[in-house]
Amino acid sequence: MIEVVASMARGPVFLAGELLECLITFTNPMSHLSTSASSEMLAWASAQIHCQFHASENRVALPAQGNKQDVQADSDTVLIPSRGERGQCVLDTPPKILFCDLRLDPGESKTYSYSELVPVDGPPSFRGQAVKYVYKLTIGCQRVNSPIKLLRVPLRVLVLQGMPEPPFPQNEEVSPSNPFLEEEEASRRDATALERALDMLMVTTSRRCPHMFNITNTRGKVAKFCIFKTVYRLGEDIVGTFNFSEGDIPCLQYSVSLQSEEEIQQQYQRRPGQAISVSGHGRHVESCLHTASSHFSLPVPLNVTPGFSTDIVTLRWRLHFEFVTACEPMEPPTVLQNQSEVTVWAGAEHVDVDTFSWNLPVKVLPTNPALASYVSQFIGTNSINI
Amino acid sequence: MYFLTGWPRRLLCPLRSAEEPFHIQPSSQRFYFALLSETQLSIWFSRPSVLIVSYIESAKAAAQFGFYQKAEWKPDDSMVAVATANGYILLFDVLGGGEEKYLYEPVYPKGSPRVKVTPGYKEEQCAPALSLEMKKPVDLEAPITSLQTLQEDLLVCTADGYLHVLHWDGLGSNGRKAICLTTIPFSLDLQSARGGPSLDLEGVYIRSMEYCLTLDGFAVVLSDGRLGFITPLSSSITADQLQGVWAADVMDGTCVAVNNKYRLMTFGCASGSVLVYMIDTTTGSMQLSHKLELTPKHYPDIYNKTGAVKLICWSPDYSVVMVTWECGGLSLWSVFGAHLICTLGEDFAHHSDGTKKDPLKISSMSWGAEGYHLWVIPSRQERRKQEENEEQDVEMISPPHPSLQTGILQFHFIKSALTVNPCTSNQEQVLLHGEDRLYLTCGDPRQIHSTSDVHTNLHPQDGSPMHHPPNPDSSLSQGLSTLLGHKHWHVVQIHSTYLESNWPIRFAAIDTAGQCMAVAGRRGFAHYSLFTRKWKLFGNITQEQNMTVTGGLAWWKDLVVVACYNFTDQQEQLRLYQRSSNLDNAFASVTKLHSDTLLLNVFKDMVILFRADCSICLYSIERRNDGPTPSVSVELLQEVSMSRYIPHPALVVSVTLTSVRTETGISLKAPQQACMAESIMLNLAGQLIMLQRDRSGPQVRDKETPAVNKKLLPFCPPVVLAQCVENVWTTCRSNKKKRHLLEALWLSCGEAGMKVWLPLFPRDHRKPHSFLSRRIMLPFHINIYPLAVLFEDALVLGATNETVLYDGLQGSSEPLVALFPYCTVERTSQIYLHHILRQLLVRNLGEQALMLAQSCATLPYFPHVLELMVHVVLEEEATSREPIPDPLLPTVAKFITEFPLFLQTIVHCARKTEYALWNYLFAAVGNPKDLFEECLMAQDLDTAASYLIILQNMEVPAVSRQHATLLFNTALEQGKWDLCRHMIRFLKAIGSGEMESPPPTPSTQEPSSTGGFEFFRNRSISLSQSADSISTGKFNLQKTFSMPSGSSAKGRDVECAENMYIDMMLWRHARHLLEQVRLRDLGCFSAQLGFELIGWLCRERNRVARVDDFVSALKKLHKDFLWPFPVIPVGSLSSPLKNGRCRSGEQTGNLAGF
Repeated sequence: MIEVVASMARGPVFLAGELLECLITFTNPMSHLSTSASSEMLAWASAQIHCQFHASENRVALPAQGNKQDVQADSDTVLIPSRGERGQCVLDTPPKILFCDLRLDPGESKTYSYSELVPVDGPPSFRGQAVKYVYKLTIGCQRVNSPIKLLRVPLRVLVLQGMPEPPFPQNEEVSPSNPFLEEEEASRRDATALERALDMLMVTTSRRCPHMFNITNTRGKVAKFCIFKTVYRLGEDIVGTFNFSEGDIPCLQYSVSLQSEEEIQQQYQRRPGQAISVSGHGRHVESCLHTASSHFSLPVPLNVTPGFSTDIVTLRWRLHFEFVTACEPMEPPTVLQNQSEVTVWAGAEHVDVDTFSWNLPVKVLPTNPALASYVSQFIGTNSINI
Repeated sequence: MYFLTGWPRRLLCPLRSAEEPFHIQPSSQRFYFALLSETQLSIWFSRPSVLIVSYIESAKAAAQFGFYQKAEWKPDDSMVAVATANGYILLFDVLGGGEEKYLYEPVYPKGSPRVKVTPGYKEEQCAPALSLEMKKPVDLEAPITSLQTLQEDLLVCTADGYLHVLHWDGLGSNGRKAICLTTIPFSLDLQSARGGPSLDLEGVYIRSMEYCLTLDGFAVVLSDGRLGFITPLSSSITADQLQGVWAADVMDGTCVAVNNKYRLMTFGCASGSVLVYMIDTTTGSMQLSHKLELTPKHYPDIYNKTGAVKLICWSPDYSVVMVTWECGGLSLWSVFGAHLICTLGEDFAHHSDGTKKDPLKISSMSWGAEGYHLWVIPSRQERRKQEENEEQDVEMISPPHPSLQTGILQFHFIKSALTVNPCTSNQEQVLLHGEDRLYLTCGDPRQIHSTSDVHTNLHPQDGSPMHHPPNPDSSLSQGLSTLLGHKHWHVVQIHSTYLESNWPIRFAAIDTAGQCMAVAGRRGFAHYSLFTRKWKLFGNITQEQNMTVTGGLAWWKDLVVVACYNFTDQQEQLRLYQRSSNLDNAFASVTKLHSDTLLLNVFKDMVILFRADCSICLYSIERRNDGPTPSVSVELLQEVSMSRYIPHPALVVSVTLTSVRTETGISLKAPQQACMAESIMLNLAGQLIMLQRDRSGPQVRDKETPAVNKKLLPFCPPVVLAQCVENVWTTCRSNKKKRHLLEALWLSCGEAGMKVWLPLFPRDHRKPHSFLSRRIMLPFHINIYPLAVLFEDALVLGATNETVLYDGLQGSSEPLVALFPYCTVERTSQIYLHHILRQLLVRNLGEQALMLAQSCATLPYFPHVLELMVHVVLEEEATSREPIPDPLLPTVAKFITEFPLFLQTIVHCARKTEYALWNYLFAAVGNPKDLFEECLMAQDLDTAASYLIILQNMEVPAVSRQHATLLFNTALEQGKWDLCRHMIRFLKAIGSGEMESPPPTPSTQEPSSTGGFEFFRNRSISLSQSADSISTGKFNLQKTFSMPSGSSAKGRDVECAENMYIDMMLWRHARHLLEQVRLRDLGCFSAQLGFELIGWLCRERNRVARVDDFVSALKKLHKDFLWPFPVIPVGSLSSPLKNGRCRSGEQTGNLAGF
């Protein structure tokens, strides 16, 4: 038996364009003292990142495709990472061979490092109601005359759309490269891909520009709403304030939900004009009858997919507001001092109400993948025995 | 602990009135709030915060009674008493609270597509309908100063020096008593002979008073500013049965509040400080525990200008106190004085453009249910100002019209789960809960432990670290740095269905892995898992509503342990629910309990309960997998009665089982045994009490039947370990390598910081002397409020309030946004190891310090710990005005020499301290020249470079040049190109500098410690500053070489000489390389340093470039470039040697051509 363990020290979440590093350890777990101990052999191992696409039958109409053969002959030595997976493989990196002809003595173990840039042009990891994009690192290994065994390490890929191209190095002279200068620049450039993305995120999401809205319905003014920005990173709090004191119509309750809308592009819709699927990711409800001003703060969960668009699906984010208001304006009763009789004022038992709703689009962007790793369902370490 | 979040919410009274509220009084459960204005009594509901009913006095009655002043609720919420200016007590019946009648129930239009926004809106989101009816007033004939409710009675103090005891039912007629203050004997303690009535009480009355249940007495502030405590000697309050105690030397008291849980009396003073008193149990005298004062360090502008203390408000769980002064502001403190928030400084006091704001002046305030809100009524002029501001923004059409009362502010708080539910797993994770959400730390410290364990376990067994898991060190440090660096929380919103029907959340618990949470509100409970991201609620709503959590909840493995009251069976129960199965009583294990539970905790496979009858029960939990469904069996192990030691069950803050022992009577045992439930730790009103298992019996019994014996071992009488304890941390994990940290007991003690009860281990496992102590209590200060102790990582996690100003934004007309900053809570962490090491060194326990430090040497921030230790001691001792006969710095320095990081630590510390202290530092640690040479010997060139900076500032240029040359040569030899580039810069800079000579480094014998400034020179070169410019200008080096930068002729000469000197060294090195046929190194050397090779090779053509030993040169080349030797064809074995010579010549030629 050989134990194969794949682990990504950085965590299982990556930004597209980032370098993925995975250490794959092959161990012969037998103790060299045991009697049945013998060396183990592996013919080859190779690894590849791929993205599986899966669409729900009753929402997405995909053009007919030639049935790709999914069955792999035992004798084949070709790694097809998507073998046995649902859906179709929309993207894969070139396979990299880790080794050929590995021999492990009892108790011995060997570690190989696999590194690959996560493709920039792919979709993000996404589990929607109609469409799923799932990323995996698949490691295939084969013993001689045995079927290929696959070890799958699920990853999550965040895509920051509109990332600027790396600036052309200005300072460096255009001179023939010196073979004695090591390739340190290249590795430095990779590291800055993440930094540049984080910089851009920081710049776009830290800018505050308040937007004011007057919330009105057919009967009059209800409230004034202020939101300080409309672009957020994963894990950030969406903060907005309400001011009811200047409204004509009393508001009994309001709710704010953070929702994502998943829309299938027209040509792929199963039924014409089919509804957009909406899912909620947090809700704030507040009674605000005798409230002059209040605020809400809704966290953008770390595990959701930021807005994106492919040729099949578009994911957008919005804040959905619902208001429960009284039907009529209520002029506050005035208490006059020095009345001859005692007055007891009591609130009304019933209020005729009306409801209305409103949507405000917001943008949700990725965040530092290290931060998102903490709450990932994947652990970043997988293993099989072969 | 409590933290302020967001902005305050502003409430709007729906009635227009000329009067404004000035007093707020919560009902006993804080679901209702009574608000008073001059002639108006209003009752507000807590959630939703709406006005229920308002009673407006008639003109005639108002003239007779005078304006309303104070209010008090009857404990069952059925009545409100109002004190008026003319000395009347008005009693109002609050009717209709229990009936099924609601206010503001929304009626949705018929045929509306969406009938209700929230299902079940009617019951949960509506306020109950109440009405107010006035009963017969009672005339006390003197202005009323204070109102206080007892269970059946209402206690009223009047300005004529009387204390009236009125019965709530039939007020005024039967059971009315009046006690004159002058008849109460006062003394400094209860033991001194009871004298007659104090004479000096003539004309004095009680200004403010509050009853403390657990002290059974009244804390009072008298009208002359004296503080006192009045206790009834018998069960009823009668004139001749009262006894008073003075607080010595205080004459400026203004207000009082008591803390029932910690038995503290807090008095506000005119000076602005709050004095916290406790009662000495033996003498009965009042003893000052601590003071709450703004420090001049943190509040330089305001600390002595706050005016008198106006109000003091303890939170409902008594863990924090809110204080406000005459000048306004809110200030929050933990029970033993750790300062948390003050709104008189920073963003609260200044606009974003730097201008000062007026502090919020407060006329009354009150905590809401469970402390999630603070209801604040700003004082009148404050509101006026606010309205004026608003009027500027929004043009009010009719100013003379009575305006809306917009006075009430609700501040929002989140609090640590420890404040009400101090179970063990809550202590290992940071879990905060707000009204509707949970905050937990991102990242799992346990993961880091596991990797570090793997590291330590695997390394010695296997000789080949190459093939071992992914570089555990890097992942460890990465994990930790991200753990420490991120200030983010993972926010989990509590399920709205559960929240709406069971608000407010009272308990929250998290499991040790930090993955599962449980919350309990008024009824039932719900739990959440990070794996599934789903809440689990009771499937059967009846089951949820039929139980209420009483003693808290905790996680044991994947089970929720709940101490609850079952309404159907009317009994107290201990229940365990599986996380994985549906939340249903059918899957629960239920154990009947005999008394109400107050606290619950889990230790290993044991549940520990503290009950209202002051006894502690230990239960064992065991999982059974024999049946079709896994079940759990709970068994009572032991019952310990504590009623002898605990005066009142409400005083117990926390109860924990620990493996901590004082180790008396037994020798040091293996760590496995140290993990047994050895003792009970009980926090009794801040006093930490330990009960150890009694092992004084014959030890042989231990071995006979350990299982049974363990259950039967009784506990010794309690020992008091510490005072003023807010939280306690211990762990039942064990780690042979970190025994100091894992077997210690950590305490947080409010303003006193933290304390650690550290075990001291005998050296070499010798039998210790019985007179040597086995543990030591060390106090240390930290800058954060501790919420979790990471034992293995030697870290404390906490949280602090941060603020963001939104006022500078355009168009934000919202006055609150302009008035207050937006508050957020950020997680923080702190290392403390240097404090402990230092304290051990001070106490001459260097051996223990060494053991402790060695166990932590693998921590990523350990170098930082050592540095901090030197730095703190250095700053203290070098700047001390008084002579230090026994300085610690040499000891610290010698201590650090035990670690390989010594040289680095010293130089890092030196470079972070000011130049003036360097002489003192190096007098203690040794001459920097010697240290520099040690670095060179240890091949630690980077550290040597750092020492060079020191030398350069302390020595003549000749010395530093000599050392620099040494370092430069070594760096060249080792191919440290970055360093070489720095050294070239450095040498050039030295040469171009002035030539006057500074005094040499004082030798260690010279105790010249002060006056370091005379060594100060203007010129200083910092490697770190020039590093950037150098690394980018790698290829321009040649240019700078030939470009003289000095302007004067002399400077140019020096420059040239310097350049020559450097060139000479470079040539020498190149020659050296070529001599040894190290062509690869030569190539790198030339490429990295811009060494002009071609010309040099031409010049050296006939000198060093000549090859003498072709065979070895060829071999060397092949080795250098990993070039395979040519495979000799079988046929040409006898090929002439000449070919080879040619080849090698070609190759060298090629290489030299680069």
